[in-house]
Amino acid sequence: MSNKPNSMDCGAPLGRLSRRRFLAATAGVSAFVGAGAALPFGARASTGLVALVHTQAAGDSGPIDSMMGRLNQLAEAEGLETRAIYAQDPATYETVLRTLGDAGASIVLGTFPVISEAFKAAAPAYPDTKWIQLFGDPVDPPIANLVTVSYDYYLGCYLSGIFAAHVSQSQQIGYIGGISIPPLNADYNALTAGVHAVNPDATVTAAFAGSFQDPAKGYEIASQMFLDGIDYIQTDSAATDGGIIQAANERDGAMVSALDPAQYALGPASVIGVVSLDFGQSLHNEASAALGADWQGGRHVPTGLGSGVIDFLLSPVYQEQGPEDIVARSQDAWPHVEAARAGILDGSVAVPFNTEL
Amino acid sequence: MTEFHEFMVAILRSGTPLVYVTMAGVIAQRAGVWHLGLEGVMIIGACATILGIVLTGSFPAAIAIACVLCVAASVLLWFVIEKLGANPIIAGLGLTGLGIGGTALAVQALFGSLAAVTAPFGVPRLGEAFGSYGALSIFVLMMPFVVWGMWVLLRRTRFGLRLAAAGEHPLAARSVGTDPGRTRLIALASGGVLCAIGGAELAAGGLTIFAQNMTAGRGFMSFAAVIFGAGHPIAAAFAAMFFSLVGVAGIRLQLLFGASIPHDVLLSLPYLATILGVWISGRMRGGAKAATEASELRDY
Repeated sequence: MSNKPNSMDCGAPLGRLSRRRFLAATAGVSAFVGAGAALPFGARASTGLVALVHTQAAGDSGPIDSMMGRLNQLAEAEGLETRAIYAQDPATYETVLRTLGDAGASIVLGTFPVISEAFKAAAPAYPDTKWIQLFGDPVDPPIANLVTVSYDYYLGCYLSGIFAAHVSQSQQIGYIGGISIPPLNADYNALTAGVHAVNPDATVTAAFAGSFQDPAKGYEIASQMFLDGIDYIQTDSAATDGGIIQAANERDGAMVSALDPAQYALGPASVIGVVSLDFGQSLHNEASAALGADWQGGRHVPTGLGSGVIDFLLSPVYQEQGPEDIVARSQDAWPHVEAARAGILDGSVAVPFNTEL
Repeated sequence: MTEFHEFMVAILRSGTPLVYVTMAGVIAQRAGVWHLGLEGVMIIGACATILGIVLTGSFPAAIAIACVLCVAASVLLWFVIEKLGANPIIAGLGLTGLGIGGTALAVQALFGSLAAVTAPFGVPRLGEAFGSYGALSIFVLMMPFVVWGMWVLLRRTRFGLRLAAAGEHPLAARSVGTDPGRTRLIALASGGVLCAIGGAELAAGGLTIFAQNMTAGRGFMSFAAVIFGAGHPIAAAFAAMFFSLVGVAGIRLQLLFGASIPHDVLLSLPYLATILGVWISGRMRGGAKAATEASELRDY
């Protein structure tokens, strides 16, 4: 950098301030601001703060946006004070939760499995707070003020596989996930099981974008899959899905099964359906229950087909705007999907839950 | 043959944003600034382009807005480094945080939600006259000329010599009447325009989407390409395209061998290639080590 002194050089006046004094002053200001921030937060919490701690960014047109939307609806309907907090760094999960506990939050909801350990660590220390982990495994031994909710999303992927095998002309199916983690691996395996239940010779190819927020990578993976002859892709990658849908929009006959009905509009003639996991509905269910006086902690709530939270849905937009031949095939395929759904619900169809690739 | 062309299209589509941002890094590096804010300026360009298209309905207006905002961000970086005496690396990282957070805030403020924003159209495409390459944007076609122009600017013009002097030996530059601070300002502002184009190509070249944090480390990969290419515009551009090639090959390998090789290994290939490339470059004559010695940090 230039050694020339200039009129805006801050070095001269600051030169009289020692590093030790500067650090001490900084610590003092931090403590003052921290205390000032905590006081009104605590006061608000006394009216019943409901907080959502999410570990994926909002803006995914999917789970996080859905949860935040329903949290806002709940706040308006019940007159609650709510906060949505994005916890980006796993090292800070427990600190964020304990801060909410210290602030006297009445209900703390959190996603996803990565935040499990922080919930287990924080919940026992704040018995007056109701802790709800969405997308978590059962806790053993149970914690009295903690409820975990799991989602059998893979069952929806199985139905998507059944559907894909009926509508795909090439009998080459693709799966694009965000990151290879056990729940997503199970989704891929269930999709494969569904496809092979109809046609054992069909191929199912998996790829992962390495991120839930990289639509450009999603576009490249989907483009290569379509070039290889794959004509049906099941997405499982949040905001990365946007790129996958755009790649499908550029190819005639390419079909995508996405994650959320909000994605229908992104691909009117390519998003043929969704394996819907309505996190917003689930959050609403659990938060509403926790607002009641008879809420019981120490439980695990498994959520599967038939709960209104998870299902495989056909896109009504695609049914209107999609290619006529594929729309006809999709209508022919639908009874098979309904039969499989009924079979899962009555126990006559067993879908493997396999988290290994 | 079609497969080869499609492979090339994929490399060009994913590599072009990297090349533009790498050129921004090269010109900053020549001016003596290690630009770790490339990621932040790039995402500002991506966001401004998509929001500009949505709000104005005009691509030229959108790219103009993106350029103005990226230049403003670059000027802010220059001000913090040059006038407030901040460490360029820390200031650059701060700019990255500002870009990622600021773009999310902008989307929230404009649309009341953090959802991904989709534009009705993107950067104009080359069209059917270019055959298999017609799906690429006009920025892909411009890219080699920009790289060549950068080489001419840095190696064959008086301004290029002044820029190098400002980066390598500011006192010597000042002794011949060149103001190193003003030269750095021009370099960073020019880099802002290049980052705007890179961001626009990422969000609106093949796609027409802006999603939070969608640069996904590409600005840092561009910075690595500057190191790999030892600050030489053509070498750095090849380094950026090499990273793109490895990324596309990684996808291909996932599709071919994903059942037998862990996906995480294949996904990490671009990053392994980046580390390997910087390591190799550091051991070559005139490589990264030479580029490092041109840092303004030496003058502190």
